[in-house]
Amino acid sequence: MSIVYPNTKLCELVIQDPMVVTVLNRFNIMLGTGDATVAEVCEQRNLDRDFFITIINTYINEDYFPERVIDTFSAASMISYMKQTYLYYEHSQLPNIERHFQLLLARSASGSNNLDLIYRFFVEVRDGLLARIEHDRQEWFPQVLNLESLGRPAAVNAVMLDEGDNSIEAKIDDLITMIVVHLSGQYDANLALAVLLSISGLRKDIAKNNRIRNRILKPLSDALTQKHA
Amino acid sequence: MTPRAVIFMSNALAAIGISHLLESHFSVAPHIASSADEVSIAMQDGTDYIVTDAATYVTHLSLLLPHGRHTIVFSDSTALTTSGVTVIATSRGERHIVECLNTILSPKPIHSHKASMLSSREVDVLRLVASGLINKEIATRLNISINTVLTHRKNITAKLGIKSVSGLTFYAMMHGIISPE
Repeated sequence: MSIVYPNTKLCELVIQDPMVVTVLNRFNIMLGTGDATVAEVCEQRNLDRDFFITIINTYINEDYFPERVIDTFSAASMISYMKQTYLYYEHSQLPNIERHFQLLLARSASGSNNLDLIYRFFVEVRDGLLARIEHDRQEWFPQVLNLESLGRPAAVNAVMLDEGDNSIEAKIDDLITMIVVHLSGQYDANLALAVLLSISGLRKDIAKNNRIRNRILKPLSDALTQKHA
Repeated sequence: MTPRAVIFMSNALAAIGISHLLESHFSVAPHIASSADEVSIAMQDGTDYIVTDAATYVTHLSLLLPHGRHTIVFSDSTALTTSGVTVIATSRGERHIVECLNTILSPKPIHSHKASMLSSREVDVLRLVASGLINKEIATRLNISINTVLTHRKNITAKLGIKSVSGLTFYAMMHGIISPE
């Protein structure tokens, strides 16, 4: 599915791309969507329809670039969504990878493979992601909310740019390559696959969420900074 | 999944001609849409490419703009090249059009990491990268130019499939190039 419209049925959206459930959860929409369209669900749940559709489209379609972001959406609703996303990483995806990794390490003979080092790399990537989340929560989000509600100019633009070869995304790519290409020795193949799939799931979500972060919240933040400079 | 295309043009004869050119690229014959609604339905239905002309593209900008690089526009104007769509010039003849379509629609090769070993010089560079040195320091230490360092780093990344400094550091530890501490 390329683009979601108000008359798109939510169930069709999920059937075509089950990963989108993780985004629906952030709006408190769970499985068992029924036969309702996007517009109907938004009305029932009192959700901003245009905002919801923009988030979904930016998530599922890498070519989608939302228009009129600055006039249409509030920073508060955007940040509320981002906070839900971060909770999902902290309480679901990262612990899930950790759990699989610990089982893999426990069931694979220590010293007969290079899993210990790969796990250490995962810990470094995880800590980097958590640091960025904390920075957004403590620095960037409050700054944007202050600008929106109080019009208080900020001394610096607190957004943490995370691009290039040393970004979180690049490191997760490297972690995946490490497992796929460079894992050696004896290990539990099923658990290694479970680790790989869980990391791959996180990587996809972060890539999609970075589009939302960079194409909606970042322009919104820039516009507010410029307006109150 | 089999790729599909929808043709949306103001000139029906041109649309039929383009349809014939596209046939070899799609196992399902491209659909010629006569209205914006048909295009919307086709895209909702998972169609991969919209093929159109400049006038139609501009008229239906709000519909077509979000589809970015999946839109192919036949036009001799360069004004659209910055809008993210793929523009094919019509004035340069059939061969040019066919070549462009071949380039755009041919399946892309999947990137594969070369498993070949690193050269001894690349190992030297990797060791210094993993030790935390920046390119300028590596160049001085190995008595080579920064450009040569950059070339070695590019080759290391291509061979290993690893590009971050952290990733390279852990790779170096895994292979005994530096000590795991």
